Amino acid sequence: MPKLLIVDDELDVREFARNFFRKRGLDVFIAANGPEAMGMITGECPDLVLLDIRMGDMSGLDVLRELRRLENPVKVIMVSGIEDEQVVQETIALGALGFIHKPLILEELEKVVLREFSLQS
Amino acid sequence: MMTQIDYKKELETASKGMIMIHDHVLLTKLLVRMIVRKARLRHAGMILYESARDSYVLAISRGGSGDRIPERFLRFDHTHPIIRIFHQKEYKYLIDSRNALVFDDINRLIWHETVLGSANGSREILRQVSEQMPMLNSVACVPAFYRHQLLAVLLLGAKHDGARLEQDELDFFSALASDVAMAIRNAQLFEGLKQEADRSRNLFIQTTIALGSAIEAKDSYTHGHTERVTKCAQAIARSMAQQGAFNVAEKFFENLYIASLLHDIGKIGIPESILVKKGPLTPEEYAVMKTHSARGADILVALKDFEGCIEGVKHHHEKFDGSGYPNALKGDAIPMISAIIAVADTFDAMTTDRPYRAGLSKEYAIAEIKRYAGVWYHPAAVAAIVELYEQGNI
Repeated sequence: MPKLLIVDDELDVREFARNFFRKRGLDVFIAANGPEAMGMITGECPDLVLLDIRMGDMSGLDVLRELRRLENPVKVIMVSGIEDEQVVQETIALGALGFIHKPLILEELEKVVLREFSLQS
Repeated sequence: MMTQIDYKKELETASKGMIMIHDHVLLTKLLVRMIVRKARLRHAGMILYESARDSYVLAISRGGSGDRIPERFLRFDHTHPIIRIFHQKEYKYLIDSRNALVFDDINRLIWHETVLGSANGSREILRQVSEQMPMLNSVACVPAFYRHQLLAVLLLGAKHDGARLEQDELDFFSALASDVAMAIRNAQLFEGLKQEADRSRNLFIQTTIALGSAIEAKDSYTHGHTERVTKCAQAIARSMAQQGAFNVAEKFFENLYIASLLHDIGKIGIPESILVKKGPLTPEEYAVMKTHSARGADILVALKDFEGCIEGVKHHHEKFDGSGYPNALKGDAIPMISAIIAVADTFDAMTTDRPYRAGLSKEYAIAEIKRYAGVWYHPAAVAAIVELYEQGNI
């Protein structure tokens, strides 16, 4: 089963997104912060990560930087309320595939995520 | 039924108090929280129209973790089925009888449409809505309108005891949602007024700048003078305010800004032969030239709300010892705005080329201004410009 990791410091977002993607046949993991996300990525080897930016000590940008050191970097799509175009560009430069702005259109998120999995299979 | 009427009374009383809340987000938060608690729902949420995005955002959400939808995570555009079914007139009849769209009704409605064989696409949109509502954990959606504009949608989760939502409850929620729509509408109006005020203000400032440069068109030697005096006067005032020379008021800086832009506007009424004369003026010519500050005040008399600025223009050639014009005011009788412009004006006049002499050095100008502190110029304004000069800020 394709594996999706959702990283967000908001419990409601994690729960909602997990339920939503589980119903779409994905194996969903969640992480509430940067260190948890790194643990999940090395431990569970997800196929795709949805990554928030503003989270406690280790930001989404820090996670992206850490991921670049891995041998097989995982695919990452940013999901964040940050509007700052500079930050958006920085995430892309650090290897994120795309950037989805919160509040988001659920169907768009669904489309983007499922497309990544269909490309893979 | 008894318990429902109890909570309705409570909610009604509370919502009456809330009408006074002008922040529509706060109002919505309180209402949604009360609805969840009193109607014993697993959760409830409010989708609000946001004009800045021209879309709808699920902005407020209350209830149990795992049940409630995350706040400000989801956005709905005008094509979303839940928005369309409420917004588009042709579907209005689907909602009318219940003031809401109830999930349990949808199959019956679809069946009804099938039997009637209507061609207006109602079946399709009902089918889409029936897919969307479970995603949002909702058993009913209650729309709220202002006139015909959809401004909010209340999403209702199931009751803890699994009981159905009664019609009187839906009617009541509909009334509460209308309060939210009204509050949103008021917030929009207020925002519109604020923008309108900002636009008018900008137009006023731009007009003032245009008027101020009108005098420069007549006298090329003063090119850039107005802008430089305005900047210098603002710098002097900021420095004085920092040193506690006077109370800082937004209005003071505004008046000073306008007055500096317009301080020489009265020169429009001075004959060109005097204004741009090369060589010294005769006593008669000088007397005419001196009328420009009072003329300026006369020109600006129509600016009703800017009395401070008119006074500032009128007295910018008064001197601290009472030897100035037009009223020979002395010391603190001279408006502070005028005292500041006088110093900035003198400094710029001395340091730029004039028809009758080349510009002098800044060092010399500052020394001259210092020499006349307390004689011609207000000592605090002089102290401020000296400091600006010493710090290299002018």
